[in-house]
This record gives sequence, structure tokens and C-alpha cells, in this order.
Amino acid sequence: MTEGTKEPLPDSRNVPALLVALQTQQRSCTVVVTGTPGGAIHVRDGLVVAMETPGAPGVEGLLLRSGRIGEEAWSAVRAADTTHEHLAAELVHRGLVGAGELEVISLSALFDAAFALSLAVPDSWEVTDPVPTLYRNAGVTPERLLGEVSRRVNLLAGEPGSVAALARTRLRTASTARIPGIVGRLPARHQDVLATTDGRRTARDIAFTLGRGLFSVMIDLRLLLDRGLVRPHTPSTEQRPSTAPRIAPPAAAPSALDSTSLPRRLPGRHSAPAHRPHD
Amino acid sequence: MSSLDAALGRALTTPGISGAALLDAVTGLSYAELGDVSASQDSCEIAEIARIRLTRAGAAGELENVIVTTSTQHLVTIQLPRQGDPLLLCATVDRERTNLTWALRELNRHADELLA
Repeated sequence: MTEGTKEPLPDSRNVPALLVALQTQQRSCTVVVTGTPGGAIHVRDGLVVAMETPGAPGVEGLLLRSGRIGEEAWSAVRAADTTHEHLAAELVHRGLVGAGELEVISLSALFDAAFALSLAVPDSWEVTDPVPTLYRNAGVTPERLLGEVSRRVNLLAGEPGSVAALARTRLRTASTARIPGIVGRLPARHQDVLATTDGRRTARDIAFTLGRGLFSVMIDLRLLLDRGLVRPHTPSTEQRPSTAPRIAPPAAAPSALDSTSLPRRLPGRHSAPAHRPHD
Repeated sequence: MSSLDAALGRALTTPGISGAALLDAVTGLSYAELGDVSASQDSCEIAEIARIRLTRAGAAGELENVIVTTSTQHLVTIQLPRQGDPLLLCATVDRERTNLTWALRELNRHADELLA
């Protein structure tokens, strides 16, 4: 374990404080964060080089879902480097993706995962040995990471808590989006987001479907919300299942029921009584 | 040194280009910057306004570039289309030392190398 050979980490109150401590000690490790969504933060020589979380598409998702590289080519790269320590170099070496392009994707996935992780308070975290991961960048300081995350939250926030709520909300296309000519005047990427907004998908689901970042999808959704083209999907059955009331409605007058008592089946007669009070 | 920094460094060898930055056109995230890049964050907002307003006004095609000229500088923002969200190459061009046409030609040449 790395823990035994290095000086112990001070007790960190939160993940940002832990990252600053790791930067001071120039550690190489992986911080496993548990919670919803949870994830892993990869630190090399004190700088953050990659983050993975189920809350946002990672480098692999961005490469594959956007169609930049095919599944077969990706499998071949993974098979060629079973330790997964040189995946980035292998991708560039095979000419599947340019070095600059991979650097852009690696950084955008890192900041996007940081943004996704910031939307929920983690349950706990653990510092482990470095886990090999796909990245190609020189590393980012915790200060820059936090600065960018708060810039993103401020950019989206209308009121406190609204960013996390927006990330969780299922959205559907508003009826205004069906008016001819409206959608056609949107930039192509807004049209793509609109096409995947179906009432079941959240911002995260749309990001995974399109192979784009969570934050960039949320920026587009915020604009579409402001223009009234999408709206939160609130199914009518959300409050409680539609069952019959279990108590008699108080409006029913008991005296009226007494006067016409329930029809009684008489022995020897199989048909229903001729007179039914509710007919 | 990162390949993006190296590519921006080559762009800055052009006389008159005093700073360059590579930004994400949607998120505004800076992937690399070199030299005088004080206006790069604003360039991203300006490009977004131009893109949305132009499409709303019915302009066909995608945004290519935005050039803001002051008495001493050109702030050139070139949109680099790619698979996925586009990027912006923002450059500060000294009006005293070069002309816009030449700067644009050089920046476009270096833009092709950026993502290679």
C-alpha cells in the first residue's frame, strides 16, 4: 500500500480539502468516492488527471457513443494493453484519435465528472493505490478544478439547489416545439438535444445518449427551458396510485340508503331482482 | 509538454499574434492557453451570442469566426468544427504588426494541426 510508505494524510473534512492535501504531498493515488453518484478521482504527482463517475460520460463513453471510434477498434486497443496503463498512447499510436483531440476529450471528461460529483454530497471516500485509467493531459490543480466547477454551477443556477434538481428532472418536449419553423431555427446541437428529450430521460441520460458532456447538455436544456421548448415531465400518477377511496364519501346521506335497502337474493330465484336502486 | 500547448506555441511564432487559447465552444472550458489571453473568456460568450442570434435570424450554415476590432488589436475567434461540440481558437492579434487577412490565414493553418 502507498499509505504505509508515505506520510499520513491529515483528516480532510471534504473531498476538495483531501485533493489539496494530496497536491501538497505530490501523491499518486486513486480516491474512491462512495455515494450517489460516487466515482473515482485519479491523482498523479498531486495533480488530478482523470475522474470517473456514473453521473457523467467518461472518456470511453465520449469516444464510443459519439461514434469517434468503433467498438471493435476499442476492444482491440484494450486487448493490446491489458494493464490499461498505456491506453491513451495506444489510441494515438493506432491513429484512431489525434493526440490533441484525445487531450481535449480527456480534459472535458475530467471537468464534467467533477461537475457531476459536485451535485451531491459524497457519503465517504478512501485513498487507494493508483488505478490505471485512460487519460491524456498534464494534470489539473485542485484550485482550478474547484474554480471551474463553481463557475459552472453559477452559470446554471437560478436559485440554490436548482442545478442538482435540473440534473435529476425528466424533461419532455413542450407543445410549442411542434410549431413549424421553430425547431428549424435552432442550432443543430439544440435540435439533437430536443430530439432526445422524451419525458423519460434526464439531463444525464441525454448526455450518455448523445455522447456529450453532462454540463454542456444542461446548458442547452437551460436555454431550451428558458425558450419554453422543453418542460419538466410530471406524470399525473406521481402523487398516489389511482385506487378507489377506502372510506365512503361523507356526502352520501345515510338516511337515503336506509329507505332503499340492498336487493336481497331470495331462495329459489336465480335472476337478479327487477328493481335496482342505482339503475 | 501537452500536444495542445505545443500546437498553440507554433501558432504564436506568427508575427503579430500575441496570445492564443483553445476553448470549448459550449462549456467555455479552456483546454490550453498561451501568451496574452485576457479576452478569451469573453470571446466564448460573444461567439455564443453570434451563433444563436444568427441562426434565429435565419442565417444558413454554421458560425465560422467572430472578429472584434479595437484601436490596437483584433480579437479573432475561429470556430473549429469537430465530431461533438465545436472548439474555439481565440487569438489576440496586434494591429501594428500584422494585418487581419494574414493572421486569419495563419491561424486557420495552425488550427488544422491542433487536434491532429
